[in-house]
Amino acid sequence: MEEEGPLLETLTRRLAECPPEFLAEPRIGSVGEIHGAAVVSDLIRDLGGAALTPALAAIFQPANAPPDDTRQRNRLRVTLIAAWLLHDPWFRSRQQLAGRAYEFLAHGLIELAALVPAPRLVSDPDRREELVRLCLKALGLRPAGETIAQAQDRLTTLSSAERQRVIREAQAAEERSRQIREAMARKAAQEAAARYSRE
Amino acid sequence: MDDALTEEQRFPLLTAKGRRMLRWLQEHPHAPRYNFPCGDRLTAEGLRRVRAFAAELSAAPRGWRWKEMPPWLQPFVEFCLAEVPFYRHAGGSAEDFFARPTTSHEDLRRQPWAFVPDSQPLKDLLVYTTSSTTGSRLIVLSDPETPSKYLPLLQAALATRGVLLEGGCVRVALIQVCVQKQTYTMATVSAYLGEAGYAKINLSPAEWRDPDDRAQFLESCHPEIYTGDPIAFLELMKLPLRARPKALISSAMALLPAFQERLEAHFGCPVIDLYGTTESAPVAVAGRGGFDILPHDLYVEVLGPDGAPCRPGERGEITLTGGRNPFLPLLRYRTGDWASLEFHQEMPVLVGLEGRAPVVFKTAAGQWVNSIDVTTILYEFPLSQFSLHQAADGNLRLKVKGHDLPVAAMRDGLVGLFGRDQGVTIEETSDPEVWSGKAIQYSSALDLMEGP
Repeated sequence: MEEEGPLLETLTRRLAECPPEFLAEPRIGSVGEIHGAAVVSDLIRDLGGAALTPALAAIFQPANAPPDDTRQRNRLRVTLIAAWLLHDPWFRSRQQLAGRAYEFLAHGLIELAALVPAPRLVSDPDRREELVRLCLKALGLRPAGETIAQAQDRLTTLSSAERQRVIREAQAAEERSRQIREAMARKAAQEAAARYSRE
Repeated sequence: MDDALTEEQRFPLLTAKGRRMLRWLQEHPHAPRYNFPCGDRLTAEGLRRVRAFAAELSAAPRGWRWKEMPPWLQPFVEFCLAEVPFYRHAGGSAEDFFARPTTSHEDLRRQPWAFVPDSQPLKDLLVYTTSSTTGSRLIVLSDPETPSKYLPLLQAALATRGVLLEGGCVRVALIQVCVQKQTYTMATVSAYLGEAGYAKINLSPAEWRDPDDRAQFLESCHPEIYTGDPIAFLELMKLPLRARPKALISSAMALLPAFQERLEAHFGCPVIDLYGTTESAPVAVAGRGGFDILPHDLYVEVLGPDGAPCRPGERGEITLTGGRNPFLPLLRYRTGDWASLEFHQEMPVLVGLEGRAPVVFKTAAGQWVNSIDVTTILYEFPLSQFSLHQAADGNLRLKVKGHDLPVAAMRDGLVGLFGRDQGVTIEETSDPEVWSGKAIQYSSALDLMEGP
């Protein structure tokens, strides 16, 4: 966060305008449209790096995950949205961010992707800001006009709020399924109602 | 307090006339020993909604072209993603329906509560259990209206053969016959059918005070329609009944054409083959070219193993979206049943329907034989039930149930398919096997991975 980066608003607006191609289904095995590895490889070149070797690209192009592996799919979708963000002219003009950008895309998004469904990184203003700040931090940057302390504080607030929301949601879901299980055990539920044919 | 329901709770709309019909069924001198008090649970509001469904069913536009979506589908998927924990957790967007992950029996078996929408009140929750095709127990949650909405679907199925289910409080509209070691039996009346009588009975003699009561009771009920499965109808045929029903509705097991003809000749009425699942209620009714989709609010796909829709005519797993059970909105739910989907104009038709995934057998010469080919061979025989097992040594064991079966001709049929050197044993299915519930139609002990 030592260096000052672009204006926060420029990048959050860029995210809000993420084109639909970047939100399409990432390819896993033979299913899905967007080749994550090709998108990231092009980006890394545009940021001044070399095209990805097959070994480096593999993490963006899983071959063996089952098509209904939602965790894996969300991680790839988040990666694609982050790749769109990193393609901003400000980053490209530096021509020295390829290495950190690769690290961020390959390993820096795992926790976020486990908590947030990818489309919310585009549709929800707080999540847009969180992704932008995470991305800047990974590149050693902070938003233009902010001190290091301010940037750090704001990122902590955003990510802990999200974790709290996820915890609350999980608690609510647990409470709801408990209520349903209780309703299932009631005698009136067990007696059911007459059905008229067999299946 | 969690006491048993009162009659008023079982039949919220019961009138004096309806009560008379109910008592008549319950207290009939030849009635079986009913083991499960049960009503339709329909309130005035519930009945209004069942009637509205019936009106929609006859008026709503239906059908679609291959890989096209009817207009209600997209909002339905959006609802599922917003409201249903299981689908919400699966993530993804509502836009690309055909890329969405599918749902399996196992998903539903593990956590039936995860399919209940957040906004669904739990007051009227009902619980049904069913055995899935893999044999494990499946819990299906429902509300009281959903089972009553079977009735307009049964009426629509009957209408395809020009039969009218009239109902009314002086008539027994339906009797469901079963032949099972153990099953719930009940006498009830249906508010939707104008408080007509409905009974579910088990023809197993142990359930009756006197086995002769079965015929006397049914004769005296003279129901408009019998519902049941082919095994139950085989048993029903043995009873000396003079009263003729308007139709038989067969479901839950394959109804072979030759047995259907025999039933039609015996009962002097149409026998209608219905396909459905407990999760979805009735799905399709047999017509000339296959099974025509019955409900207007169900989207039917046939999918390959990778979840991609099969081309018209290609066999795959029947997969359902939609339905009307507020406790179980189905989103790409794999039924475990197989067919191909063909389109007559915009009307989708399930062709070559078979319960469970197909099984592959092997001939003595090492050729593959698909179970569907065996079904085709057996079509001409009046079997009410059959199962075929291939042992590790390649020998086939066909177990059959039916009247005066032409064993030699069945053997010839199988030998024609499998080759002259094929070992075939044919035997009659024992009653305990028949009554144990859903039989596994096809099985093989051969290691299918070794290749022909």
